[in-house]
Amino acid sequence: MGIYGAVAQSAEQIAPIQEQPRARGTLRLSTKAGPKGSAIDGLRQQGCLKALFPRVTGHTEAILINTSGGITGGDRLRISATAGAGSRLALTTQAAERAYAAQPGPAGRLTTDLTVADGASLAWLPQETILFDRSALNRRLSVDLAPEARFLMVEPIIFGRRAMGERLSAIDFDDRVEIRRAGRLIYLDAARLNGDAEAHLDRPAIGAGARAMAAVVFAAPEAEAQLPLVRALLPQSAGASLLGPDLLVARLLAPDSLALRRMLLPLLTRLNAGPLPRSWMT
Amino acid sequence: MAAPMATIILTLTAHTTMSTERAALLLSQWLSPAFPVGAFAYSHGLETAVAEGAIADATELAEWLTDLLLWGAGASDARLLAASWQGAADTDDTARAFASSAERLRETELQGAAFVATVSKVWDHSNDPATYPVAIGAAAAREGLPLDLTISMYLQAFVSNLISAAVRLVPLGQTDGQVVLKRLTPLCERISKDAMEGDLHELSSLCWASDIAAMRHETQTTRLFRT
Repeated sequence: MGIYGAVAQSAEQIAPIQEQPRARGTLRLSTKAGPKGSAIDGLRQQGCLKALFPRVTGHTEAILINTSGGITGGDRLRISATAGAGSRLALTTQAAERAYAAQPGPAGRLTTDLTVADGASLAWLPQETILFDRSALNRRLSVDLAPEARFLMVEPIIFGRRAMGERLSAIDFDDRVEIRRAGRLIYLDAARLNGDAEAHLDRPAIGAGARAMAAVVFAAPEAEAQLPLVRALLPQSAGASLLGPDLLVARLLAPDSLALRRMLLPLLTRLNAGPLPRSWMT
Repeated sequence: MAAPMATIILTLTAHTTMSTERAALLLSQWLSPAFPVGAFAYSHGLETAVAEGAIADATELAEWLTDLLLWGAGASDARLLAASWQGAADTDDTARAFASSAERLRETELQGAAFVATVSKVWDHSNDPATYPVAIGAAAAREGLPLDLTISMYLQAFVSNLISAAVRLVPLGQTDGQVVLKRLTPLCERISKDAMEGDLHELSSLCWASDIAAMRHETQTTRLFRT
């Protein structure tokens, strides 16, 4: 066949992957302290990522929208948000994000960088990410906190919609969250789930049959005081702990999306400085 | 470039000079329940899993420990140990940040500190505190111990300690405990091979139910174990 034959063959193998629709989106947002609490300092939107800013008082709320309607293989989404000194920024999504079945090839990538300055607070409150069968999603969330920054995070993941009878027999999910305070790594969460998600989630020490999971992180001086109050809100399938006097973490398992949301609402309402974004309440 | 190359050659030489017999004897000393790290005091959340009904017999214990080995602290400690053995920077900070709750952090910090304290006195190693797998990895590299054997014996000691805890908590017969350990030992070998590159970008933990049990242990009213 010779070298030319080999090249032609590999080009043929690559072709179907290139036909895969690939969404690109970049969103950069920053806030600064203003006369009414917080104001948008910078905003750049490109491709399929957009932000809406509902009128709220005392802080800036951004509702992120992925206009491509979901994430599939080869997509590249990049979010970067900075809460400047003394400002307050809450980020959420308009709807649940969906990771759809991907063709063989590179996974969809969602990369988020959050920076919180001294005296600022940032709440990262996306709605659920729903994983569909044969989805391939690679997520990276990096958070840089100044010594006097406040931060609240929730990341709810739904492993298939059980009520719809969906099976998750082959997924490729690679998720990593890194939080640094003054440059030092203080929180690292990494989950790589490759293969039959339901078989994994039925394992006793993994999900014990759950199909929904969330991690919550609260970095603020009053974290320690909040711990007993947070614990009182949690059922047996969830737990909370302190990794430092100013760092509270919680992990929640639930049978489905709705049950998880019922557990999260009182918890986030307690930890968030203001009312939750309206997209969480509907 | 000359300096790193020389380091690699020296490291390889050190590793080949230690016979497997000597390595196994030294590791069995370090990882024996008699070594003063106080491993018997830590249940890694198992005490809560038993109290809440998740583990009631030897089969359920084996399933739980299989999860920890393949998708929990077994696999992640193995990678941290390997990274430390290879001298990777920031391994200990990564290990601390990866701890999923206060008791998990305490478990790895206190056993690491006790291990370092003894090894610094008896083998004249440095006494820099480190988390447990990181401390073992560094000490093993210093003694020229083979990485694969170090990891597999570390993992076997980890599950063996949890089996002893379960024998008391469930309770189970001593023979049942040994049946579980025999069943899990091949997994220790397999995970050791998978983890040897020590790539911390491949760290992963899926054992959320076990992490939640460890968190709930903090407020459990009747406790025999520190974690």
